[in-house]
Amino acid sequence: MPVRPKRGLMMPLSMSENLARLAAKIDWSRSDGEEDGDEAAPSSAEGDGDADSQVTTFQQPTWPWESVRNKIRDAYTEVCVLSDVLSIARHKRYMVLDGVTQDAPEPKQIIQVISKKKGLAAAAQILSEGAERMRENLAEQRRNRNNNDFYTELLRLRQKWRLRKVGNNIIGDLSYKQVGSRFWLSGTFEVKKAEENAPALPPPAPGLPPVPPSPIIVTVPSELQGAAFIYVTIRKDQETLCSARLTHPGSTPLPVPQSQHWSDRLDAAQNVLFCKELIAQLAREAVQLQPRLPHMVIGNEITSTIFPGIHLVMGLAHSARPERRPAAAPLPPVPAGPLGDNNYVLEHSLHQLLRHMHHRNMHHAMPHPASAPMGMSKRRRQAGPGAASRGQLLKMVESETLLESIIRQARHVVLRMRTAFAIDSCAREIKDPLIVTHWNSVNSPTQSCCKVNIMTHGYDSVHRTTFLINVLEDSLRCVCRDGRVMTVSYETSELHYIILCQVSQHNLLAAQSLGRIMGWTVKSSSSGQGGGGGGGSDASQTAQSGGGGAASSSCVLSAPGGHCYVAVRCQPHGEPVTVSVAQSPKRDFFPTALVTEHKWEHLGGAFRQIKWEKMEGRNFLNKMELLMANLSSGTGSIM
Amino acid sequence: MCAAISAQEKLQAAMQHKIVPNQEYLLQGSVLDSSKDVLIHRLRGLADNVDEQVETFQDRERVLTLGPVSGQTLTLYVRQAMDVRPGMDQSDTPWTMRYIGQPELGDKSRPTVLRNSIDVGCTPNVLEFLSEMGFKQDYEFMCKGLMFRKGRMKILVYKVYKNKTADNWEPLSMSHVVELSVLAPQGHDAVAEDVRNFAEQLKPLVQLEKTDYRRL
Repeated sequence: MPVRPKRGLMMPLSMSENLARLAAKIDWSRSDGEEDGDEAAPSSAEGDGDADSQVTTFQQPTWPWESVRNKIRDAYTEVCVLSDVLSIARHKRYMVLDGVTQDAPEPKQIIQVISKKKGLAAAAQILSEGAERMRENLAEQRRNRNNNDFYTELLRLRQKWRLRKVGNNIIGDLSYKQVGSRFWLSGTFEVKKAEENAPALPPPAPGLPPVPPSPIIVTVPSELQGAAFIYVTIRKDQETLCSARLTHPGSTPLPVPQSQHWSDRLDAAQNVLFCKELIAQLAREAVQLQPRLPHMVIGNEITSTIFPGIHLVMGLAHSARPERRPAAAPLPPVPAGPLGDNNYVLEHSLHQLLRHMHHRNMHHAMPHPASAPMGMSKRRRQAGPGAASRGQLLKMVESETLLESIIRQARHVVLRMRTAFAIDSCAREIKDPLIVTHWNSVNSPTQSCCKVNIMTHGYDSVHRTTFLINVLEDSLRCVCRDGRVMTVSYETSELHYIILCQVSQHNLLAAQSLGRIMGWTVKSSSSGQGGGGGGGSDASQTAQSGGGGAASSSCVLSAPGGHCYVAVRCQPHGEPVTVSVAQSPKRDFFPTALVTEHKWEHLGGAFRQIKWEKMEGRNFLNKMELLMANLSSGTGSIM
Repeated sequence: MCAAISAQEKLQAAMQHKIVPNQEYLLQGSVLDSSKDVLIHRLRGLADNVDEQVETFQDRERVLTLGPVSGQTLTLYVRQAMDVRPGMDQSDTPWTMRYIGQPELGDKSRPTVLRNSIDVGCTPNVLEFLSEMGFKQDYEFMCKGLMFRKGRMKILVYKVYKNKTADNWEPLSMSHVVELSVLAPQGHDAVAEDVRNFAEQLKPLVQLEKTDYRRL
C-alpha cells in the first residue's frame, strides 16, 4: 500500500516574517576583512598598550546590535551614494553613463564579399520564385479561357444566371419573380452536360470558323423557346398611320437567334417570358375594363379604339422554333401589315410600364413606426387616424392600368402627328406671313408643347405674333400672347381655323405697327367684328365664331398730313385682305345743284377699294408700306 | 371603375371572412455591438431591395396598463416614430397602438412564437385618451436601428435606450436586438417555416429562437 505523503497547506509569508527570515541569514558576528585590517593597523602602529587597549575597549560594542547598526548604516550610505549617482546620471547634465567602446575587429574583406553574395542570392531566389508562380498562373488562365470543359462553362453560367441544385439536377430561374412579377409561368430551365461527341454547330455567319460545341446543354421550357416581341401599331381603318420604322443593319422584325449558345437562348427565353406576361396583363385588363367602345381581344392581339376610325393594335409576335431553319436559307422578307410598322417608342413604353408594375409590387414604403404592418402605402396608414371616408379609401386603391396608360400615350402620339401635319400644311399654303414652329425637345409621354411664330419676311422686327400650342391626349390648348387660352378638340379643322385667325390678326397688327413707324396714326381699330361689318363688301361671308377666335378685324389709319385714310380689313376666311383708301380733297368732286362750292371737295372722299392683287410689293406688308409711302407724299395718286 | 368595385368587394369579404392579419410569428435574438456590422452586411445581401439605402428607424414606445380588472391586466403598447425625415412632417406618420396577446411557444414542431397582435394607427392624443380611460404608464423606452424586409418578413435590428430623466436616453446594454416577424391571418402556419429557414441563414452570427418571457 503506497504511503501518501502528507501535504500541508502553507500560507505565503508576510512581510515581517520575510524580513525576519532574511535577517536570520545574515551573520552579524562576522566582520569584513577591511575593518579588521584597519583595526589591526592603528593598533600595531601606535604600539601603545594602554591607549590601544583603551581604544580597542572603546571599539568593543557597548550593546549587542552596534555592529549590526553600523553595517546597516554603511550599507545605507552606499545605497544613497549609488542612488545619487544614478539620478545625476539620469539627468545627463553633469554626468553621463557611456559604454566602453570596444575595439572594432579588423574587417576581413573576403568575408564581407561572401556574405553580400549570399544575401543577394537569397533575394534573387525569392523574386524568381514569385515570378515563376505568376507566369504559371497566367499560362493556366490562358489555357482555361480556351478550355471548354463543363465546369468552367458552368462557372460562367452561374455568374449570369441563378442556379440551384435540386437532387441530381441543376435548375435555373429566368423569371422576373425576384423583382416583383406575379406571373404564373415559371421560368425554370435545366442545365445538363453535353455528350462527348456532339456534332459541331454550323457557323453563325459564313466565313467564320465553326464554333466548337458547348459542353453545357440548357433546356428551356417549350413555351419559352424561340423569339418574341410585342408589336404596337396605330391603324387608321385599314392603313397604318405610324410608319416610323427604325432599321438597324441586319435586323428583321423577328430577330432569329441563330446561335445555339446558352446565353443567347436564355436571353431570348427571358424576353419571351416578359412579352407573354405583358400581353397577358394587357388582355386581362382589356377584358376587365369596360369603356364605352370595348377592346377586342383575338388570340394574341388586342385592338382598341383611340379615336373614331383610328385603332391601336398590340400583339405578341412569337416565332417558336427558329433553330429548325437551316442557316443557309435567306432571311424572310419584311412582312407588311402590323409586323412591318412597329412603333418602337410605344413598345418601349409598354416594357417600361410593366417594369414599373413589378417595381411597385416590390417596393412599398417601410412602416414607421417599425411595429406597424408592412405593405401599405403612406396614405393608407394615415387613413385610420385621418378618418378617411369610404370614397377616399376606394380612390386610394385605384391606379391606372397598363392598357389605359398605353392608350393615353397612343392618343397623344396620334394627336401630335396630326397637329404637326396641320401646322405644316398651313405653313405650306400661307406664304405671306411666314409660320415658323419650334417643338419642345423635352416632353412627357402625354403632353408636348409647340411654339408657333408668325412673321412677315423682311418685317420681323415690325411685328411678330407668337402663340403656344400644348398638345394633350385628346385636346389642344392654344395660349396666345394677349392672354386668351383656347381649348380645342382633336379635330384638325379647328386648329386650322385658329391658325388662320392668328394669321389675319398678325396682318392687321403688323399693318398698325408699320403705320406707326411710318408716322401714320391709327384712327380706329377693332377686332372681332361679325361678318360683313366694316368697310366691306361680302355680307355673305358669315364669320365662324367657334373656338373664340375673332372673325374679321379692321383698322383705319390716317396719313401724317391728315389728308388720307387707309382702311384695312383682314379676315380668316374669304378675302384675306381688303384695303380701301379715302383721300381728300376729293378727286371726283363736281359741283352739283345742291353742293355748289369747291371748298366742299376738302371733305373726305369715299373709300375706294384697291385691287390688292395688282398692287406692287412682295407681300402684304411690303404692299402696305409702298401704299403708305405713296400716299403720304401727298402728291401720289393711285387711281 | 371596375377596379373600384372589386376593391369594395374585397374589403367586404375581408371583414366577413376574417382574413385580417392578426397573428404574429416571431423569432428574437441578440447580437453584440461589435458584431453588429457583420450582421448588417449579411442582411443587406439576403434581404429584398438591394438597390435602396438601408432604412433606419427611431421609435419611442410607451407601455400602458390597465388593471387589475377582474383579475387581469390589459397592456397596450403605444409607439411613436421619432425620426423626422426631410420632406416628411412629424404629423404625417401616425402613432400606432398595439395589443399583443399571450405568446404561444408550442413544442418543437412550431418553429416560431405565435401571438395575437392587433395594430391600429391613431392620432397623437391617444395617450390622453388612454390615461382618461384609466391606463397608467408602466415604462417607456426608445429603440433605434435598421429595418429590412424579405417577402412578407420584417427584420429589425435595433438598440434599446432607457431614460432616467426626460430626453436623456442611455443604452440599456451593449448589444442589439434582432427580431424576425411576419404578420399573417389565422391559419397560415406555413409562413413559420419560411421564418425558420431565414433564421437558419443567419445562424452563426445570431441565434434566433423562441424566447419565453416567463422564464427570463
